Formats: sequence, structure tokens, C-alpha cells
Amino acid sequence: MTGVTPALRIEKLTKTYSTGLLALDGVSLEIESGKFFGLLGPNGAGKTTLINSVVSLARPDSGSVEVYGKDAFREFREARRMIGLSPQEINLDKFLTVEEALLFHAGYYGVPKVKAKVRANELLERFGLVGKRDQRTNTLSGGMKRRVLFARALMHDPKILFLDEPTAGVDVELRYKLWEYIRELNRGGLTILLTTHYLEEAEALCEEIALINDGKIAAQGTSGDLKEHYGARNIEEVYMKVIGHDSDR
Amino acid sequence: MILTDRTFRTLLNREILRFTRVWMQTIVPQLLTSLLYLVVFGIALGGRIKEINGIPYLEYILPGIALMSLITNSQMNSSWSVFDAKRERYIDEVLISPMSDLQITLAYSLGGMLRGVVMGAGVFLVGIPFVGVSIEHPFLLVFIGLLASFTFSAFGTMVGALATKIEHISFLTSVVIQPLAFLGGVFYSVEMLPQSLKLATLLNPIFHTVDATRYATLGISDVNPYPTIAIVLLLAALSFAGAWWTIHRGPNLRY
Repeated sequence: MTGVTPALRIEKLTKTYSTGLLALDGVSLEIESGKFFGLLGPNGAGKTTLINSVVSLARPDSGSVEVYGKDAFREFREARRMIGLSPQEINLDKFLTVEEALLFHAGYYGVPKVKAKVRANELLERFGLVGKRDQRTNTLSGGMKRRVLFARALMHDPKILFLDEPTAGVDVELRYKLWEYIRELNRGGLTILLTTHYLEEAEALCEEIALINDGKIAAQGTSGDLKEHYGARNIEEVYMKVIGHDSDR
Repeated sequence: MILTDRTFRTLLNREILRFTRVWMQTIVPQLLTSLLYLVVFGIALGGRIKEINGIPYLEYILPGIALMSLITNSQMNSSWSVFDAKRERYIDEVLISPMSDLQITLAYSLGGMLRGVVMGAGVFLVGIPFVGVSIEHPFLLVFIGLLASFTFSAFGTMVGALATKIEHISFLTSVVIQPLAFLGGVFYSVEMLPQSLKLATLLNPIFHTVDATRYATLGISDVNPYPTIAIVLLLAALSFAGAWWTIHRGPNLRY
């Protein structure tokens, strides 16, 4: 891989919260461009802190982050333009309608108005939101809000998409539709970093998986490599061996 | 660059949309309150005061009431906007966008400033049928209005970003800004106060903005208006620096 700029390069990232909790303990991670990458781990393992550190919602103590070769802190404008984030917690602007939520998001990323309008129509269609376009976001159901979050993350055509627990609380139909769409985007070249609790889905979707526990990467590799290395039949068994083993300490 | 950037203009538009969309909550009640002040203090009680420094009482209090409305609205707008966005975490969308923290601070502060200016101008328009004010120094009035509105909007941005409970925001409005506005010489001249209260009034930042507004409108003031304008400029710089710091390094937005 020498010479090819990775989509995301994280080196020795450390983050301690004001409570004294060490959320990231020198994490290093590299995601190749175009990969579907899964980050798995128990609650509180550091998955969201890792994502938040890349987009500067968390302030790391030390370490470096590069997005397609751009320093996430010094060249934050360029780096952030390439990232789309669908966060774990729903955070839609309650003053805006569904369509406005998409258009304003595009504006925050500097996308020209005409282009944003075309993109919004495409995504409203794609996520079955056309009928809801003029509805205020705070009047939508949970599943609909989740759809708006996905559409919003894609409005500025990011090169890498962070999906933080995207299917928590989502019905089965939407989950399958979403996976189908995400796979399609990935085939089109979009790099994806997914955190999830659904291990079988991670196994089905992700080309490469990292297991994170106590702020450290506990194991990393393709699903096949991991199963072979741990003598496991599936990722769930790998997870139990790695995380279960770590939790026993 | 900062002001022409689409990212910044979008957030500013969003801030304007926020207060214009809910105008029945943000504009109408505030104008009504100011009208009540004019009626109660100016027409009902004002009959007994007649004039101050040679100016009819109603005309004397109009610039101060307009400024009081401008200040309370500008700080309320930005403090609530930032606090709401933070409480429901949609401020994260802005914080992770390619906007700089300076642009974010400026957009919230200018959004509040515009609401303040709309309200201040609205009170003047509502008051004109009663008093028919002629403005002595119109450019200075616009300048003071913009500056005072920006100062208190930036201050509101800072408080909105620092606040962790709704009570903090209402405390700012009802326990800090409104009493300071009432004691800031809106309804009287400081010359009418005993010496100790006169000195205390000079420490009230709102007094300086009220006095400068009165000078720009009526051509009279309690203190020399130019040092007062310098004080307001300093306050604007301090408020904006404080607001920028809380967005950039403050404890409650990024972890």
C-alpha cells in the first residue's frame, strides 16, 4: 500500500475525559480508500470518542489524524469537507423542515445552492422522504428522523462516511434498505467506517474489522483473518474471545 | 473571506430564519411590551414630569426604550439559539462543519444583532406617532444601535454556550440585563440621582449605550458621548472575545 494515501490515518490518539476516564489509549488505525471498515466494541469502549476526535467534537490529548492526507486539526476545512457523519444520537435542527435540514447542511459545507437542491431531491427520493419534505424535523417519527440523518450526512458528497450505530432503534425494513444503499455507495468508491452492535451485519458488510476495548485496538483484520486467527466460526465468536477475554482481566 | 464564505452565510441565514419564522413569539410580544412602556411611563405618568433637560418626557424616554428592547432581544436571541442548539446537540452539525470557530461565533452574534436592530427600529416606528421624533445624528444612531446590539448578542452567545440549565439563560435576562436596563437611565436623567447612585450608574454598561443613543437621537446626554462610545466599543470587543473563546475552548460544546 506504500504511496497510496489512506482515507483515514490515526496515529497514537489519546483522549482523557475531565472525569479522568482514559477513553482512547494510543489508538492507531489506518483505513484504505474505498474500504468498508467496521469498528466493534462494547459500550464505552471508545468507538464514538474515536469518531468525535476525528471531527473535533472531542479534543484529543495527543496523536494525529489525517483524512485523505489532510491534517484533521491544522487543515480542518479540507479534512471536514471530506467527512460525512451520521451520529448515534439524533441531532436534527428543530426549526427546519426536512428539505431545509438537507439544504442548510449543504450550505454549512459550502455546496452551491443549485447543486444542493438537485442533491436534496435525489436523497429525499432515495430515502422515501419526498412526502415529508415540508414537515418540520421535530414532528417526524424516530425512524424518519434517522433517514434524514443519513440523507444529511450524504448531502455534501463526502469521501468517507462515518456511521455511528446507525441502525439502533431502526425497523428491519429500513435497516435492509439502508444496508443495500450503503453497499451501493461503497461499490461506487465511498469509504465507510461503521460502528455497530449487530455483529452478524458487520461480518456481512465489512471488508475489514477492528475490535476496540478499553480505548485500545484489541484485534484487527479481515473477517476471514480474524476467524482463522482466533479459531472462530464467526465474528461473534471472535468478539467473545477478544472482548470477553479482555473483560476477564 | 470570513463574511462571504457560503458556510458562514448559511449559518447566518439560519439564525435569521429562526427568529423570523416564530415572529409571533420573538417580535410581536416584545413590541407590545415597549408600547406599554411608552403608554404607561410616557403618557400616563409622563403627564406629571413634563420635560427633562428641556425635552418633553415621552420624547426623552423613547430612545432608551428602543435601546432597552434592542439589548434584551439581541442577547435573548443568541443565548437561546445557542443554548437550544447545544441542548439538543444540533450545534454539533455546525461544530463539525468546515466553518471556523470565529465564523460560528460571528454568525450567532450577527443573527442576534439583527433581531436587536429590528426590534430597536420597530420601537422607534411605534413611538413616532406619539412623539414625532426628529433624529439629530442619524448615522451615529445607526452606529450605536448596531454596536450595542452586537455587544449584547455576543454576550448572549457566550452565556448560551456556557449555560448548562435553562435557569442560567432566564437569570441573564431577568436578573442581569433587565434590572441593568431599568437602572441605566432609560426613564430618568442621572442628574436626578444622588451622588452615590450617579457614580454607580456610571459603572452600568447599559447606561453608556442608552446615553449615547439619546445623544444621537435628541442631541442631549448626561455624559460626554464620545468617551461613552469608546466604552461601548471596548465592551463589544470584550463580549465578542468572550463569545469566541467559549465556542473555541469552552467546556460545554466540545469534550
